[in-house]
Amino acid sequence: MTQFVDLAPPPARAEGAGRRPGPRGPVFVWANVVVLGWLTVAVGLLAAHQLLGLPGWVALHALLLGAATNAIVIWSEHFVVTLCRVPGPPPRRLALGLTALNLFVVTTIVGVTIDITALAGVGGTGVAAIAAVHTVHLLRLRKASLPGRFGYLIGFYAAASAALVAVAVLGAGLAIGAADWYARLWAAHVHLALLGWIGLSVLGTLFTLWPTTTGTRITAGGLKAARRALPTLTAGLLLAVGGMLTANVWVTVAGLACYAAGTVLVIVPLRPAGRISGPAAWMLAAATGWVAIAVLLDATRLVLAGSVDALPEIVGTVMPVLAVGFTAQVLVGALTQLLPVVLGRGPAEHKAVAGILARGWQLRTVAANVAVPLVAAGLPEPLPRIGWALAGLSAATFVTLALRVAVPVARRGALDLEPGPQPPRGTTTGVLAGLIVVVVATALATSGRNSPAPTTVSGAEHTVEVTLGGMRILPGTIDVPAGSRLVLRVTNQDAMVHDLRLDTGEHTPRLARGETALLDVGPVSGDRQAWCDVAGHRAAGMKLSIRVQGGHQHTPATPDSENGTAAVPGLDLAADPSPGWVPRDATLAPSTGTVHRIELRVGERDVEVAPGRRERRWTFGGTTPGPTLRGKVGDRFEITLVNDTAMGHGIDFHAGALAPDGPMRTLAPGERLVYRFTAQRAGAWLYHCSTMPMSQHIANGMYGAVIIDPPGLPAVDREYVLVGSQLYLGDPGSDSQVAKIRAGQPDGWMFNGTAAQYDHAPLVARTRERVRIWVVNAGPGDTTSFHVVGAQFDTLYKEGGWLLRPTDTAGGAQALDLAPAQGGFVELTFPEPGHYPFVDHDMRHAENGAHGSITVTEHP
Amino acid sequence: MIDIWTILRFLHVLGAIVWVGGQLTITVVVLPPVRRALAAADRADVLRAVGKRFAIITFTTFLPVQLTTGILLAGRHGVTWASLLQPGYGRMLATKLLLFAVVMAAASVHGVAQAKGQPGTARAASITALIGSLGVVLLATGLVEGSAS
Ligand SMILES: [Cu+2]
Repeated sequence: MTQFVDLAPPPARAEGAGRRPGPRGPVFVWANVVVLGWLTVAVGLLAAHQLLGLPGWVALHALLLGAATNAIVIWSEHFVVTLCRVPGPPPRRLALGLTALNLFVVTTIVGVTIDITALAGVGGTGVAAIAAVHTVHLLRLRKASLPGRFGYLIGFYAAASAALVAVAVLGAGLAIGAADWYARLWAAHVHLALLGWIGLSVLGTLFTLWPTTTGTRITAGGLKAARRALPTLTAGLLLAVGGMLTANVWVTVAGLACYAAGTVLVIVPLRPAGRISGPAAWMLAAATGWVAIAVLLDATRLVLAGSVDALPEIVGTVMPVLAVGFTAQVLVGALTQLLPVVLGRGPAEHKAVAGILARGWQLRTVAANVAVPLVAAGLPEPLPRIGWALAGLSAATFVTLALRVAVPVARRGALDLEPGPQPPRGTTTGVLAGLIVVVVATALATSGRNSPAPTTVSGAEHTVEVTLGGMRILPGTIDVPAGSRLVLRVTNQDAMVHDLRLDTGEHTPRLARGETALLDVGPVSGDRQAWCDVAGHRAAGMKLSIRVQGGHQHTPATPDSENGTAAVPGLDLAADPSPGWVPRDATLAPSTGTVHRIELRVGERDVEVAPGRRERRWTFGGTTPGPTLRGKVGDRFEITLVNDTAMGHGIDFHAGALAPDGPMRTLAPGERLVYRFTAQRAGAWLYHCSTMPMSQHIANGMYGAVIIDPPGLPAVDREYVLVGSQLYLGDPGSDSQVAKIRAGQPDGWMFNGTAAQYDHAPLVARTRERVRIWVVNAGPGDTTSFHVVGAQFDTLYKEGGWLLRPTDTAGGAQALDLAPAQGGFVELTFPEPGHYPFVDHDMRHAENGAHGSITVTEHP
Repeated sequence: MIDIWTILRFLHVLGAIVWVGGQLTITVVVLPPVRRALAAADRADVLRAVGKRFAIITFTTFLPVQLTTGILLAGRHGVTWASLLQPGYGRMLATKLLLFAVVMAAASVHGVAQAKGQPGTARAASITALIGSLGVVLLATGLVEGSAS
């Protein structure tokens, strides 16, 4: 028994007197516009998340939780109503449900992004509740009516929405904080979302959508296969997720294999008899292929790793495959097939819409599928960047085309069939091809990490092996006979990037660990110099002398603009700050949530280091000090460090205890790292760059504070945090600056990265208020003796211990003394209104910038 | 100070202006009214004539001038074959040349498709060439920045 499936249902109930005879009326059209809107948001976030300082997974959630979830909800409901001949919900209820769903989705994404646990919890619970209602509704439909041959669809959708409930619950667990269970919950969350909610919905729909797309008949065999595939898929998913939660690698692998078998059960009866043609068919086929590949990849790599500990890394590979290859592609493919029916009235309009949606589809499909291995295979930059750009361009082109048709229909209820002159054929393809070529070229042009092809050297010459490492160049001196030709074979043995530059300007590329390059010095007639040109490394000792034997000629030292030794003019603390200068807000907000996720991008910025004085600095998160993190004992911190600069940097959080080997490694330019630690002990902790020479990285701004509240810390009226440090003027890493750092002769001292800044922007307090001031000494070298002129401290907490409490009524404290990397806090109340200076009571420090003021007013 | 190198740079930039500006003008300014105002047969004639003229200018003047001035300027800049592969200036220049080759290939595809009467392919190729040329200009701008610092 075979039949053609007509997915266009009879017009819905007569609301609006048939204003829109398309399926299900205006609500349905709007719902599809919302899907396209989420897709737009996802592409926009993908392109701009770095600019906006948002983590990349926000874009992923806009795709999966926004676009895909909306599409699945509206279309699964539509298929059930149409194919199983059950009554659909009234449009108003559908609109209400969808509005609530989208509000909850937005709440979830915003809550997790800005780390407000309550918001994330409300959003997640809302999504779970709607998914649960949806599941119950589907199951009741199955019982109440006789769904007939397409009844299996309800089963697929019910299983999928049950998975969504679990996804939301696990997601809430992750947001609230799951300590040691984090990796397991995360893996289960990802798999349930991609293979359960999205996977089951899509695979179930394929049995009817695929025949419609290819214009073939749906066979009884196909329907039987559908009924058989569901138990295999669900069992596989349950097993896999169970395995992940119990950290059992073999159960997980068995589950994934079972799920893969279920996918095969879907693909085999649907395999095309002839050549498949048309955009929707190609995209659906490719997308289904990527599911199978992703699951097999998942299982194989897990077997090879032999431990679920490898799951986070494996998921990191598999997730892009499922997001770009499967979810995005299946969404575009399904909408290409389904939107014409929704948006057009009658065959002529269907054809017109389909024509618009198909523009440039060959190139779009190729771009999306080429993108998958580029983003997932762990290739070196710029290839992943090119991949994401290709995927984004492909999706953006479709969204632009679809919105141009869908928005007029949603607003006016009719298709604009006279929208000026139709653009001639080939326009979309041309624009897309041009953009792709330019994006790939730009990424290639700006990439900078590949080593050049080695140059071959011939003739009578001296080739000398030179190694770079440990801030030394070995050998440090090379003696050669006058006039001989010298070639250096330079190998970097350090984890850090180095290069070698000759005084005449020729240089090797930046070399990563183990890389080798040849540097042709040419005929040597006089003494020459060479050094590592990475900022600060020359001053730290990475120098090489080439001496001519028997000769005493010296090439005059060439002035080197980058490493200039010109004297830097000193500080003028009385100067006015630059126009538009904003002081660093010293206020410390109470901690929220128990999981603290933050993305720290390492950058280079011009920073106001003293009033009116701007200097280039190396920054965590764009400021110096970097952002202050705050939490409680037992809280989990997940910091994603991204190195946006051209040199190596790393990070070291004193607030966590872990083996430094991996997390504190130096990141090459463009690399990222997730640094996870659980705060086990309270204190005012330092974090700083972990790359040698650290004195320079810290002196140039790479430090910040992590405040872990002692248990039972009472609330106070105001809390401030001050991070003390030395100020070294001059270009980061220049000879003059490095010389001062090594001699311990700073140009000034400062709190929160700018000398004398709170002289210009005083802190405020009121009488009778209890004020707590946290102080961390970032160094790199000097002590801090924190004192508030005219006030006494009744509380003093330092390095994890209370030295003085308000109950110790007899005694008081005048200074909090901190060696480099120590921290603590003081508490005080001000006796009367006035202007109270605060200082580092080493008066050399105070008089050279470590000085500020607190304006105290009368308590009303 | 104006010397021979200034003149060469001027010619190089002028060539780029004529080539990219010409494509932009034809695509954005000339084609839409032509398409609206003329009948299909006339339109094809006009487009073919415009395309042929542009191709002649490209091959007799633009390409020779660009290649000559480009090679001379590169030599002046100390660009060597090996340095083309190194990150930074060399790699950006190499990519710019590669992109330029792609643009020329697309322009050729445009000519062939036009002659064979495949308007869809021809238009796709010409738009690819136009956007690609803008990319070449973008990379060239990056090169100026790169050499200054
Ligand atoms: Cu650093």
